[in-house]
Amino acid sequence: MSVIIRNMTIVSPGSPMHGKTDIGISRGVFVDPQTLSGGKEIDGHSSWLVPGLIDCRVNLREPGLEHKGTIASETRAAVAGGVTTVVATPVTDPVVDSPADVRLVLERATASGYCRVLPTAMLTQGGEGSQLSEMAALMDAGCVALAQGNRPFRTKKIKFNALKYAQSLGIRVILDPESRDFAGGCAHTGRIGMGLGLSLNSPLSETLGLGADLDLVEATGVAAHFSRITSKNSVERIRRAKAEGLNITCDVTLPHLIHSESAIANLDPNFHLERPLRTEEDRLALISGIADGTVDLIVSDHAPHETGAKLAPFPETEQGMSIAEGIIQLLIQLDTKNELPFEISLTAMTTRAARFINQDKLGVIDYGNNADCVLINPNQTTEFNESNWLSAGRNSPLIGALLPSQIFGTWISGKHITGR
Amino acid sequence: MHGPAALQLTTDGRLRHLLTTEGLPKSLIIELLDTAETFLSSQGQPVKKVPLLRGKTVVNLFFENSTRTRTTFDIAAHRLSADVVTLDIRTSSASKGETLFDTLKNLEAMQADLFVVRHSAGGAPFFIADRVTPNIAVINAGDGTHAHPTQALLDLMTIRKNKGDPAQLSVAIIGDLKHSRVARSLIHGLRGMGCPDIRAIGPGTLLPGDLEHLAVRTFHRIDDGLKDVDVVVLLRLQKERMTAALLPSEREFFNLYGMTESRLQLTKDNAIVMHPGPINRGVEIANEVADGQQAVILDQVTNGIAIRMAVMAMTLSTQQDEQS
Repeated sequence: MSVIIRNMTIVSPGSPMHGKTDIGISRGVFVDPQTLSGGKEIDGHSSWLVPGLIDCRVNLREPGLEHKGTIASETRAAVAGGVTTVVATPVTDPVVDSPADVRLVLERATASGYCRVLPTAMLTQGGEGSQLSEMAALMDAGCVALAQGNRPFRTKKIKFNALKYAQSLGIRVILDPESRDFAGGCAHTGRIGMGLGLSLNSPLSETLGLGADLDLVEATGVAAHFSRITSKNSVERIRRAKAEGLNITCDVTLPHLIHSESAIANLDPNFHLERPLRTEEDRLALISGIADGTVDLIVSDHAPHETGAKLAPFPETEQGMSIAEGIIQLLIQLDTKNELPFEISLTAMTTRAARFINQDKLGVIDYGNNADCVLINPNQTTEFNESNWLSAGRNSPLIGALLPSQIFGTWISGKHITGR
Repeated sequence: MHGPAALQLTTDGRLRHLLTTEGLPKSLIIELLDTAETFLSSQGQPVKKVPLLRGKTVVNLFFENSTRTRTTFDIAAHRLSADVVTLDIRTSSASKGETLFDTLKNLEAMQADLFVVRHSAGGAPFFIADRVTPNIAVINAGDGTHAHPTQALLDLMTIRKNKGDPAQLSVAIIGDLKHSRVARSLIHGLRGMGCPDIRAIGPGTLLPGDLEHLAVRTFHRIDDGLKDVDVVVLLRLQKERMTAALLPSEREFFNLYGMTESRLQLTKDNAIVMHPGPINRGVEIANEVADGQQAVILDQVTNGIAIRMAVMAMTLSTQQDEQS
């Protein structure tokens, strides 16, 4: 069935449709409304119509970690956050490292019927960092990239081989830069973590890892993506490496754009993340990185947990935050706080993300593209509370929060989908 | 204030838990020290037994090894006529797979009144007071490298008894401040009492990065740092520091930072030498200083019992008033 959305403003940076006030949807794609005869008319009530967000790092927890979340529960939460496409991490239990695992993720996503799920799989078998996984078969099964998550490679030589092999097959790799020698610690080595007597993680853990990774990327020529950059120094190194012509991209997580180390002053375990929140200076450098394009993507790193995982003293709790269902609202909040214009953060989760996953029909509202879009009123608000929470993971500082904007409708390939 | 510092006080500023000396108001510190002194007899020994906590149940929750601290809490509780239960968590519930949360909920159901908690994770007593058993008074007996507030209070009591008001004194803390909850709590306590001159002495690998923010002056050369101080506080050096390559050897540490007679000459006359114990002779302290006139290390032990009596009495009195 065809629909025409009128009385709204299209906000789609880089699109010729940007600023227009009506659009048609037919057979799953955007069309010129004047070519449609009949069809359902939708009043946009002066809202914005934005491209559906693409979240390139989401922990969907299936297979094996269904007590934390399921593909159904977490993709539903993502839709409520304005997301229409997620890239699933392979760090499940067991990890995703075979074509059968990839197909299982895709089948469950289709059966759930919420957003589009694009899988990734491990670069090494079992994620153990020793033997290469069947990379070609994994890509054929539907992966958009291969990753190693937070699992180390046994040696740098094996890492080199994995990157070289991936390069020869034209596969993009996702790396979490970290030096094993400096890994660990649940808080940034700053005043707050020190004062609370927590085990500390130095930004050197990231920059030492990044430095070595950049050498490997240069030597192998692989297309590499550095995920979850947290420090000012890392942003500067990536800026230099890009200027030197290296084929790299990178992302930051939404919690790191919003919070700094002071968020842990109350020992709230929801702020215990795999990569610690760093200083305010670091946070501002990450925001500038997004603004000037050094940092390509914003990802949620959504990580739902069962209640018990966070019911312990801070250092002993599991890491990660459930945040998916508030993503677009948080981006608008960053804009209303004058920290990051919405049109820029939107780019980091639409056009740049679409380029990253090689999907030229996603991320832009334009005739002929996949009709993935979100109708959102920036002047209204969304309240998040225990009773309307959607993610299976209640490990979120959003519960109890009131954020700007409210979603009125979401379409994925032209199909109307309701999250909340 | 936020976190442990805020949670331990009632809205009207009384002591509900003792989690940290950070942000503890001067008036409360003085009240704690004064109360502790009333528990000392005219001979300076803690009075043998008072019925203040008759019918109360104190549970010692030691998730980390400790004989000394646990014993002093035991004695303090007994002298206040409380019933004392000591749980060696490592050999009981934890080994059966029960979570900390469930263990504590069980103890709460058994009508415990006060938990004395030692845990290797920074913030564990705060977690218990905040999220698990808010109606039970919690005393932090040491959590990770975060805090050891009763040790800091007994140190302050020892300083005040021997040298007077800390607001008039210079205090030097020597050794491994980086991994020391004792040092961190003492610094906060001294700041709370208005101490104008706190110094940290040690090699770069053993000093934390936030001392400047705490208005503590750092010295890598002990001779510079000891000049004209009234109080010298030595910290225990753990053997792990050598295997972690933070120090070459105990011998080198003693040569650079060990407290000797000649170094003691650099301090003010009659300066006191303190140590939380147990001491390593020939590592942090020379024999002649450990056994000398200026060492008040055994005083600290005696005062420790009185301080722990005072903390238990004050937190339980707050609890009683809140529940009545």
